[in-house]
Amino acid sequence: MSLSRIAAEGLRSLAAHKLRTFFMMIGTVVGIAALTVIMAIGKGTQREVMKRVNAFGVRLIKINAGGGKGYTKPQPGIVTLKLEDADAIRSAITGWDIVTCVAQKGAVPAKAGDRQCETAVFAVDSDWHEAMEWPAKQGENIAPEDMATMAHVCVLGTRLAKALFGDDNPVGSDIQIGNVRFRVKGVLIQHDAGPGGEDENHRAVIPLTTGLRRLYNQNHLTYIRVRMKNADDVPATAEDIHRLLHERHHITPPETDDFSIVTSREVADAARGISGTLTALLAVLAGLGLLVGGVVMMNILLISVAERTREIGLRRAVGATQRAIFAQFLMESLSVTVIGAIFGGAVGWGVSVLLPRFVKVITVISWEPFALAAVFALLMGLVFGVQPARRAARLHPVEALR
Amino acid sequence: MIELQGIEKTYGSGSVATHVLKDISFRVETGEYVAIMGASGTGKSTLMNILGCLDKPTAGRYLFEATDTAALDDDALSHFRNRKIGFVFQQFHLLERTTALKNVMLPLLYADEYPDDAEERAEKALAAVGLTDRMLYKPNQLSGGQQQRVAIARALINDPHLLLADEPTGNLDSRSGAEVLGIFKRLNRERRTILVVTHDPAVAEHANRIITLKDGKIADDRPVARPRDAEAELAALPREERQ
Repeated sequence: MSLSRIAAEGLRSLAAHKLRTFFMMIGTVVGIAALTVIMAIGKGTQREVMKRVNAFGVRLIKINAGGGKGYTKPQPGIVTLKLEDADAIRSAITGWDIVTCVAQKGAVPAKAGDRQCETAVFAVDSDWHEAMEWPAKQGENIAPEDMATMAHVCVLGTRLAKALFGDDNPVGSDIQIGNVRFRVKGVLIQHDAGPGGEDENHRAVIPLTTGLRRLYNQNHLTYIRVRMKNADDVPATAEDIHRLLHERHHITPPETDDFSIVTSREVADAARGISGTLTALLAVLAGLGLLVGGVVMMNILLISVAERTREIGLRRAVGATQRAIFAQFLMESLSVTVIGAIFGGAVGWGVSVLLPRFVKVITVISWEPFALAAVFALLMGLVFGVQPARRAARLHPVEALR
Repeated sequence: MIELQGIEKTYGSGSVATHVLKDISFRVETGEYVAIMGASGTGKSTLMNILGCLDKPTAGRYLFEATDTAALDDDALSHFRNRKIGFVFQQFHLLERTTALKNVMLPLLYADEYPDDAEERAEKALAAVGLTDRMLYKPNQLSGGQQQRVAIARALINDPHLLLADEPTGNLDSRSGAEVLGIFKRLNRERRTILVVTHDPAVAEHANRIITLKDGKIADDRPVARPRDAEAELAALPREERQ
């Protein structure tokens, strides 16, 4: 007997009973579609998490002014994070590479000639460039002498430079930030999106001392960045810093913290966002779809074996062996699941492409889900097809023909 | 060609045992046209199943061309049916939603090797039963008589040594029945061995020999002196009734 002809016989039977075939197939289609979407989301999320974690830095511990959990932003108006906290961290903690302080203000008016706009201003230590791995591409970085002399100099982000100077070279020109005049020392290199996915190129960077005394007239910081020598030390050191600042700020639970600590773990959690929930939901849907679909298919096949008893008897009479009958019915179930998986894969592919337009998820389409779908389809066809096929094969020809 | 020796068939066992066939022995030679007759419940269907290798006797030997069928397992019996026996049933047993041509080709699917000329063979078989113009019709588009002729073509596709028919005219009007019996007569003239199981004496009288069963035993086994001639009877029917 020829297996391909037996398979064709099974396909002909499926084509002749379209509605029945549709119901047998629907579970596989839904299950496989959900499966491919899950994997596309999983892959997209993983890539996004890696991107954001790398943008943030795996060796970094960021201490923000203002409390909160997870990936928080510094809160303006919290005045308790001081330069002295940074000094205390430097002396109490081991294993750090750079500890750098930032006092930041958003939406400060900036002016150059007749062009003006609002900008974020970052007053930073001179080692900020190294800590951020973000040097000037034109001109110079903020230097230790600038700190010591409270120099009125600034380094511009590319977007701010463009806004104030167009395509002209801003280095050496003067700009006004707030009511204070600064000389442009340099322009930062263009930066990719930050850990939150934001554009970081619209900013002016000035010496910390100048910022605190001359521009802001304050002595508190917005955040402190601690870069560790070794990424493995980050979790334990974050705990230590947490304890240290608790003590220094005289915080006793249930009082809430007036600072928050962010590491790459919080960034990763934030990047996963809703995709975790969505993935869990789809995983349940995929599992249920495949299971229910498989059971439904098996039941329809069992009913169809009963309905087709005479057909089976006739086939046996004209020479079909038990194996041939078994093969035909197994081929029917395999065809249902494999064709269902093809449809499901197509639906899953379409959803993976369209979903990011409606929901805040990132999907990446790769070959793995489709390979897995093929494996699942064959497995389902076998697992749920064997029982009906065996029942069909074991029908006694005399009973079947009656 | 076939020989039955003391065939018994018993269903159940002990006190509830039903003896359907008791000590059946006879021989059929190649080219014979034999009718097995009996009222319903006399075991003729059971006998037909044993003759068709669809079922095994409880006791006794069934020799088919010197092969002891008891020695064959289920697979071997399937192949045996495929090659040596053609079946014609009362209910036709055609596959629905399947053309006459595909129905006739069905036994070839289970042959050891699928022949290259499967379609031509099926066309020839359908032509032999006068259905050249109905080859692509499906069973629900055919009359009962036409359906039974498709079934006969299917039975003949593998050129079997034995044609086994179970009440072949039971579901047909008299004209269609006569057509079917006419085909049998012609096949028999071509030296094909035919066994027809029927309760109807009018059908049985077309055969050359009638074996009568009663209560699971052979009550009578005699040649028919002047078998009826279906072809002649068909020719005698008024022409306008022909389809």
